[in-house]
Amino acid sequence: MRATIGEARIRVPDRIAKGDLITVNSIISHPMDTGFFRTKEGEPIPAYFINEVVVTYGDREVARFEWTSGISRDPAISFKLKADREAPLTMTWKDNQGGVFSQSVQIAFTA
Amino acid sequence: MIDASRLSRRAVLRVLGLVAAALAGSGALGRARRLVAWGGPGPDDPEIPNEEVARALGTRFGDRPIRRGHVTLDMPAVAEDGRVVPVIIESDLPMTAGRYVKGVHLFVDHNPGVHLAGFYLTPALGSVSITTRIKMKRTSWVRAIVETTDGELWADYARVLVTLNGCG
Repeated sequence: MRATIGEARIRVPDRIAKGDLITVNSIISHPMDTGFFRTKEGEPIPAYFINEVVVTYGDREVARFEWTSGISRDPAISFKLKADREAPLTMTWKDNQGGVFSQSVQIAFTA
Repeated sequence: MIDASRLSRRAVLRVLGLVAAALAGSGALGRARRLVAWGGPGPDDPEIPNEEVARALGTRFGDRPIRRGHVTLDMPAVAEDGRVVPVIIESDLPMTAGRYVKGVHLFVDHNPGVHLAGFYLTPALGSVSITTRIKMKRTSWVRAIVETTDGELWADYARVLVTLNGCG
């Protein structure tokens, strides 16, 4: 039922005009284990969480997030972006066990 | 008729403040009024940072003053499930090439890790508006502190009552 770890989605508005302040919504599937829990069998569940997110717009880094396991499971984050050029918006999530996950969406203007 | 479910935490606190002020005026809460006049915390102010919070703030911000304003931290007054607590942080501070909010920090006083997240921003975002979901171990003050490129620190605080421990 649960999506594969690292499966991510980025959503931006369907219609974007140059200069719009748009909302970017994102979600990634990840357990975000704190390391404080145990399985039913009593085995400790090691800490496993996304600790860094990098957002690039075209060739420029526009934001970087530092996370801990205090962010909820399947982390969702939304933020604003000034859509001033047509370029891909890419988010890269990195976890504390070396996992790197990336997703992109094209920012394109409707005439 | 007022729909209680639509009352914001701020509105409730404001009403409580008015009631407290009225009672203080009548002498019933004279001591509380003296405390407020003396500069003690009001109902909308966070508690004094505990040792761990003070250390986390000091490490990040040194001894620069952290003033209230220019930021809003919107969280539920009551979080039934501490595993998923919504957070909205917004700021009216400029995001121009010369002067902008370079960092937004989220601290939860009574979580195992006090500094929960840092969001590093650039003027390309155009505006400070961050929405996410966090875990909370128990009832606690949450602090949203933004840092500008000028080195100014602005904050807003929310006390969230947590029913179900979200940290284990």
